[in-house]
Amino acid sequence: MTVIADPALAADARRERRFFLSLSLPALFIVGLAAILPILWIIRQSFLTTGGEYTVGNYEKVLSSGLTWSALVTTLELSLGTLAICILLGTPLALALASARPKVANLLMAFVMLPLWTSILVRTYGWLVLLRRDGLINAALTGSGLTAEPLPLAYNFTGTLIGMVHYMLPLFLLPVYAAMRDIDANLIRASASMGATLGQAIRMVILPLSAGGIFSGSMMVFIYTIGFFITPAVLGGGKVNPLSIRIERTLSTFQDWGSASVLGILLLVLMALIGMMFLAARRLMARNNVDATDA
Amino acid sequence: MSRLLRISLAAIAVSAALPVYAQTVTITTAGGDYGNAIKEAMWAPAAKELGYDVREETQSDGLAALKMQVTSGAVTTDIIHLGSPEGAQAAAQSLLEPLDYKIIDPNSVPAGAKSDYCYPFDSYGTVMSWNTKTYGDNPPKTWAEFWDVAKFPGRRALRANAQDLIEIALLSDGLAPADVYPVLSTPEGLERAIKRLDAIKPNVSVWWTSGAQSAQLLKDGEADLVVTWNGRAQTVKTDGGAIDYTFKGSVIGTDCLAVPKGAPNKEAAMKLIAAMTQPARVAKLTDFIAYGPVNPAGYEGDLIPKDRLKTLATAPENAGTSVFSNADWWVKNGEAAQKAFDEMMAR
Repeated sequence: MTVIADPALAADARRERRFFLSLSLPALFIVGLAAILPILWIIRQSFLTTGGEYTVGNYEKVLSSGLTWSALVTTLELSLGTLAICILLGTPLALALASARPKVANLLMAFVMLPLWTSILVRTYGWLVLLRRDGLINAALTGSGLTAEPLPLAYNFTGTLIGMVHYMLPLFLLPVYAAMRDIDANLIRASASMGATLGQAIRMVILPLSAGGIFSGSMMVFIYTIGFFITPAVLGGGKVNPLSIRIERTLSTFQDWGSASVLGILLLVLMALIGMMFLAARRLMARNNVDATDA
Repeated sequence: MSRLLRISLAAIAVSAALPVYAQTVTITTAGGDYGNAIKEAMWAPAAKELGYDVREETQSDGLAALKMQVTSGAVTTDIIHLGSPEGAQAAAQSLLEPLDYKIIDPNSVPAGAKSDYCYPFDSYGTVMSWNTKTYGDNPPKTWAEFWDVAKFPGRRALRANAQDLIEIALLSDGLAPADVYPVLSTPEGLERAIKRLDAIKPNVSVWWTSGAQSAQLLKDGEADLVVTWNGRAQTVKTDGGAIDYTFKGSVIGTDCLAVPKGAPNKEAAMKLIAAMTQPARVAKLTDFIAYGPVNPAGYEGDLIPKDRLKTLATAPENAGTSVFSNADWWVKNGEAAQKAFDEMMAR
C-alpha cells in the first residue's frame, strides 16, 4: 500500500473518491426507485385486505394452502433439475473450452453465446416447434423407427426442463469457463509429472481450483430459475405449476393482490435463503482449502 | 421575426392544437383474430362515423388489467372488452361506470342478458372439437363420450380454468342442460363436477391458457379432442385444418363492453359503445369470427347470410342442448370453483 505524504495529494485523492461516489448516485437512485420501492409496496400490499384494511389473513391463507406447497415443490424440482443438468453438461464443456486453442475456444464460445442474444420467448416457442407431437424431433424419431409412438416431450415437466436448461447453460458456463481458464497450466503439468492420470488431474487439481466458478454458476442458475415464468407457462402445458405461475393465477383468476404479494415475498425469501446457503457453503469450502494447504 | 419563421411557428401551433379537436378514445380488447374482428367490423367504422381517434390496447386477461388500472388510479382505457362473468365480477368490485342507457339503446339487449355495467354484444359457445384425421366420421357426440377414453382414445386439451368446464363436467355425468345450475346450487354439485374433471385428467395432454393456444393445438394435431370456443374452432376449420366441432352440449356465454371507473373519456366511450354495437356492425362481426349478435335486431333482414347462421352458437337449430352460462352463479361461486379446480390440478 502506498502512503500519500503530501497533504495536497491526499486532498486530491479525497476529492476524487467523492467524485467517483457521486457518479454512482444515478444508479443508486434508479435501483432505489425500481427495486426497493416496489418491494416495499409489495410488502405493504401483502398485509392489506381487498378493502384496504390491515390484516395477516393473506399470510394465513397462502401458507395454509396446499397449492402453495405443491407449487414450492415444483419450483425446487425445476431449479434443482436444471442445476443438475447444467453441472453435468456445462462442466465438461467448460473444460473442453478452457483447454482448446484460443482461436477455437473463441469460436466455440460464440456458438455458446449466440442463444443468449435471442429473446427467451422466441427460444421457448422454438422448442415447442421442435418438441411437440409432430415436431422435428418426434418426426425424426418415428420416421427412423427409433420409437413407434411420438414421445411426450412438450407440454410437461420434461419439456419445461429442456427449455430451462437451454436458457441457463450459457450463464452457468461463463463463470466456470473463466475459473478453468485461469488455472495455471503449470499446476496441471506438475501433477502430470508426478504421475497423475488425466482423471486424477481433473479430480484433484482442476475441479478444486474451479470450484469457485462452479459455485457462482450454480448460484446463478438456482436464483434465476426460482422465478422462471415463460418456460413453464409455454412448455409446461398447464401441468407444471411453480410459484411464478401460482402468482400469475392468483392475480389474474382470483384478482387477489394480497395473496399474490405474499407469494412474491415467499419467492424473495426463498431466493435470499438459497443465496445465503451458497455463500455460507463457499466460505466453508474456502476455509477447508486453507486448512488443506496448512497441513 | 422573419416571415418564414412566423409561418412555420403558426404551422407548428396549428398541428399541435389539431389533435385536441379529435376526441380520442382508448379501447382494450383480447387481441388476436378476435380483437382484429372487433376492430374491423365494429369500432373502426364507428370511430370513422363519429370522427373519433380510437387507440387500441390488447390484454389477454381483461379483468386483471382493469383492476390494475382502477385500483392504481391510472385508468388509461375508456372501453374494455370482458367476458360477461368477468363483467359481473368487475361490477361487484365497483370497477365499472354504470352504462348510460340514455346514449345506448336499452331495447337492444334481451331482458335476460341485460346488465347495468357491461353491455353484452356477442355470444359464443364453448364447444367440443376434434381432429377429423383421428376420428373420421365417428367422433364423440356427447360429453359423456368425450369422457369415454376406452371408446375414444386420444389426447384431450382443456382450458386451465374452471369456467365452462364445471358445466361441461356435469353434462358429461348425464345431467340435462336444465339441471346443471340447480345441481350446482347444492353443496355437492361442485364436488361432483370436480370429480368428473379429475377422472379425465390423466388423458389431458395440455391445459391451455389462451384461445389462440387452443386453436394452435387443433391446427397442429397436438391434441385429438379439444374443448374450445366455437369461433376459434371455426377459424381453424375455415383455414383448412383437419378439424370439426359441434354445438351439441355447448356452454353459451356472452362477451360485453364496459367503461372502467374513472375512464378519462366517459361520455365518448358510451357513444362509441352505442355506435359500434349497431345491428349491422355486430352482424358484420360474423364476417370475421363466428360469434353471433346478442341484439335480436342483428339477426333480422339479411344482415347475416343464411348459411352462416348455423355456425353461430345462438342459431335456433343449435339451441336446446346448450347451457347458458350463468354470470350470477360465477360471481357467487367463481372463487370456490377455481380453487377446487386448482386443487384438483395439483393432486
